[in-house]
Amino acid sequence: MLSLLIFLPLIAALLILILPNRVQNQFKYITLGVSLIQFVLSLFIYLKFNSSAINAGVNKESQFQLVEKLSWIRLDLGTIGNLEIDYFLGIDGLSMPFLILSALVTFVATLASWEIKTKLKAYFSLFLLLNTAVIGVFCALDFFLFYIFYELMLLPLYFLIGIWGGIKREYAAIKFFLYTLFGSVFMLLVIIGLYFSVSDPITGNHTFNMILMMDPANYADGSIFSALANQNLFGMSARLLAFIVLFIAFAIKVPIVPLHTWLPDAHVEAPTAVSIILAGLLLKVGGYGIIRICYSIFPDAALQSAWWIGLIGVISILYGALNALAQTDLKRLIAYSSVSHMGFVLLGIASSTTEGISGAMLQMISHGALSAMLFFLVGMIYERVHDREIANFRGLAEIMPQFTAFVIIAFFASLGLPGFSAFMAEAFSLIGAFNSEQVNGLLPRWMAVLGSVGILLGAAYFLWTLQRMFFGQIQLKGGEDWLVKLKDVNMREKIALVPLVILTLALGIFPSLLFDKMNASILAFVQLILG
Amino acid sequence: MDQFIPLISSSINDTIASLSYFESEVVLIIGFLTVILGDLFLSKKFPQLCFGLAMGIVLLVFVHSFSLLNVEPKVLFGGMLILNHLSILFKILFCLVSLLFVLFIRYNKPLQEHEKGTGDLYAILLAVHLGMNLMAMSSNLLMLYISLEMVSLGSYLMVGYISNDLKQSEASLKYVLFGSVASAIMLYGISLLYGFTGSLYLTDFSFISGLQNLSPLALSLSLTLVFVGIAFKLSAVPLHFWAPDVYQGAPSPVTAFLSTGPKIAGFAILIKFIMLLQAVNIASSTIYSILASIAIASMVLGNFAAIWQNNSKRMLAYSSIGHTGFMFMALFVLPGQGYKALIFYMVIYVIMNMAAFLILDEIEDQTAKQNIDEYVGLGKQLSILMPSFVIVLVSLTGLPPTAGFTAKFFVISTALDAYNSSGSSIIIIMVIIAAISTLVSLFYYFKIPLNAYLKESKQPTIIESSSAKTYISVFLAFLLLLLIVFPSLIERFL
Repeated sequence: MLSLLIFLPLIAALLILILPNRVQNQFKYITLGVSLIQFVLSLFIYLKFNSSAINAGVNKESQFQLVEKLSWIRLDLGTIGNLEIDYFLGIDGLSMPFLILSALVTFVATLASWEIKTKLKAYFSLFLLLNTAVIGVFCALDFFLFYIFYELMLLPLYFLIGIWGGIKREYAAIKFFLYTLFGSVFMLLVIIGLYFSVSDPITGNHTFNMILMMDPANYADGSIFSALANQNLFGMSARLLAFIVLFIAFAIKVPIVPLHTWLPDAHVEAPTAVSIILAGLLLKVGGYGIIRICYSIFPDAALQSAWWIGLIGVISILYGALNALAQTDLKRLIAYSSVSHMGFVLLGIASSTTEGISGAMLQMISHGALSAMLFFLVGMIYERVHDREIANFRGLAEIMPQFTAFVIIAFFASLGLPGFSAFMAEAFSLIGAFNSEQVNGLLPRWMAVLGSVGILLGAAYFLWTLQRMFFGQIQLKGGEDWLVKLKDVNMREKIALVPLVILTLALGIFPSLLFDKMNASILAFVQLILG
Repeated sequence: MDQFIPLISSSINDTIASLSYFESEVVLIIGFLTVILGDLFLSKKFPQLCFGLAMGIVLLVFVHSFSLLNVEPKVLFGGMLILNHLSILFKILFCLVSLLFVLFIRYNKPLQEHEKGTGDLYAILLAVHLGMNLMAMSSNLLMLYISLEMVSLGSYLMVGYISNDLKQSEASLKYVLFGSVASAIMLYGISLLYGFTGSLYLTDFSFISGLQNLSPLALSLSLTLVFVGIAFKLSAVPLHFWAPDVYQGAPSPVTAFLSTGPKIAGFAILIKFIMLLQAVNIASSTIYSILASIAIASMVLGNFAAIWQNNSKRMLAYSSIGHTGFMFMALFVLPGQGYKALIFYMVIYVIMNMAAFLILDEIEDQTAKQNIDEYVGLGKQLSILMPSFVIVLVSLTGLPPTAGFTAKFFVISTALDAYNSSGSSIIIIMVIIAAISTLVSLFYYFKIPLNAYLKESKQPTIIESSSAKTYISVFLAFLLLLLIVFPSLIERFL
């Protein structure tokens, strides 16, 4: 089942590569079909998903669902025994929501790809390859396999930004690539270190199985990452160092301030569809990695660093929001708002409370849908007049009433209006952060207070933008010409936007749709990190 | 004199027994002569005869070496050669190199169009191949030196095979001069070793005990001198200085060959010395820190210098210095553990490096472009070749989804395992440098797709029709993708 979900896009990509160029106008329909099948499959998985406590997953291999495990690489390395790498997939409550999100975001991004007019064959095959990698990351439970999918995301994205991007695309593409690779090469070292420390209790081989890495009993005596041995590296606890390395690797993806500078560049230069994938899915990979890997494997180090992670979260919230206020380019504004919103994820995770982590998970799903929607909306304007400077538009509400309605929904949902998913998510994250002082004493209360200031700032930049661009007298830089070009929302765009609106409303009104499915896993996760 | 007479029959018996394990070398010797004769008498009538002959011989050697896999260690010719699993793996690697080299020569335009013809080149190749095989098996210092010289002499001829302009003549002269100095230094080191121990046989008891009783100064002096000769072949820092000029000046197939074949043979010898020192159990920590320093220096210098290069062959030359550094990391294994990671890395390295040079050459043939900044907009025009090039470059960087990643992964694992068991900090520094140099290498390797795909060219380049090289490189690129999914295709033979 999961393999099908992962490799379906890859097969479609190969199909597109084989098909002749004269049918290139059909490629987008193939891609759309794939994303629809994925969506149906993931809905099926969602409905069938067993959310009882005995299927919580997290650190118990037997409790994972839809497990697929095949032995893959067995290299005999002499004294240290066999290298044990498995093709090991499975999902629990922490990864299942992302499957639906991936399918949905891919669907929207495919519809946004209608604007791509050149080199369609290459575009759609890279796009599908990216999709394979993203879903693979969310399903992989073997660290080696995870890493392969994780790195596999970089290449297609490099070319997608680099070839179909804006004016400074070369710079943005390589900057993105180098930033992410910087994190992941060091992650590789930690992975290998973990591998030498952990052995499979059944076979006795060293293993890359992530779930086995979560159990302190599987660490060999005196090995470098053994919690008992407490080894030092460069005058620092080895486990803490490893945690920091992994955290930085994922935090670059999230992104956190001050490692966020690749994000605005990448977003501004990327075509709309790629921005949607980037904001909707790739940032989530960072958050997912922190939960699944950093926290689950190094809970002790995570608790030690909770204060700092919370602080980084708060700084990201405020710094992202303040930067968003200062932007003149609509897409850049939304990119910075992503930084701000992802800060809530970190704050929620750092609190290590059930509320906080539920909030963080919901925030990731909610932001995935909302950022996809926001970037899609920006893309619509850009596609029509090739401009997105805020100051160049005024009074759009009169020209494009339906479009304005969607923008209002997206903006209000993003700024945290009750009834939309972001409200629930941010509220839960803040409650978690607020309670943390009382429950486990990890985060001080002022962090929650500062975080809520971020919501206020969010309201400020969204409402101000709304006022500047959509209300008032019609005043366009392009004059009459633009007036003709700025047509209202068409059918294709509605098909893309409506499911996102439904998702954010549904999760805002019935958050239990998601919470129920995740709860057992989140409880198990909190149990794991707090010990 | 009389006392030797009874020995004659036993030594003859030994030689005859050894011959059955020496078939592939005999085939190479006969092949070498046949190709020369064939080129002399029949090349007018059948212009591609030598190609076919060389191809057939290499394939024959390949099959034969393969059938000897997992053989029990055999001492041949009274201790001159030792045939074991490792040396057979090396021999198979050489076959792979030669096979690709032969194909490369066949489809290389400048060589094919040159009035001299390519027959001699095939003959030289077979001789060099023989030399490399002997290098991998030799267990006698004299044998080792002779085989090394055999490879060197052949390489000198190859580099200067078509000296069309001053640059190429300079390259070949430089190579001969530096090469012979390095060999001379090595010979001096060998003679010191012989003088100190009274034996030339690496596995001989008197040799080992002689080393053990040697003063550290004398030992390190003689070993350093020997290492100079080996490091020259490996193009490891600080004996790398010849590589960029020679690689750029030599014909592309020869460059591809030099950066793989002799380099791997150099490692075969280096391993012999390391195993010897492990067996003697002297100064092992010093040796390891020296190796680690060379690895670090090679990775840093190779990768950083590559950033500034614009000539694509020169860039690959520096990058191959960096790869040498990486291979050094795989030498950090405990005694008796085998060199699986190293061999795996080498297989992948041969595939990707050969593919990279094949593609460069094909691009040069089709568009007459040698510099990276001229590749602008080629992605659109070379719609099969360029994607394969990207795969090869990704593999050279060591990223998934290519086998280059698996290879790099095995090597780093090996080094970290060595750190685990020894705890010496220079190893962990080396590993961190390796990670950083991976990052740096991304920067220069990706200048090629950056130019080919991300930039638009103003005027389209004139493209000539593609040759078989395109398909060979596509196949090699495909192999790189296949081998990450099924590394067991190689691994099971290690």
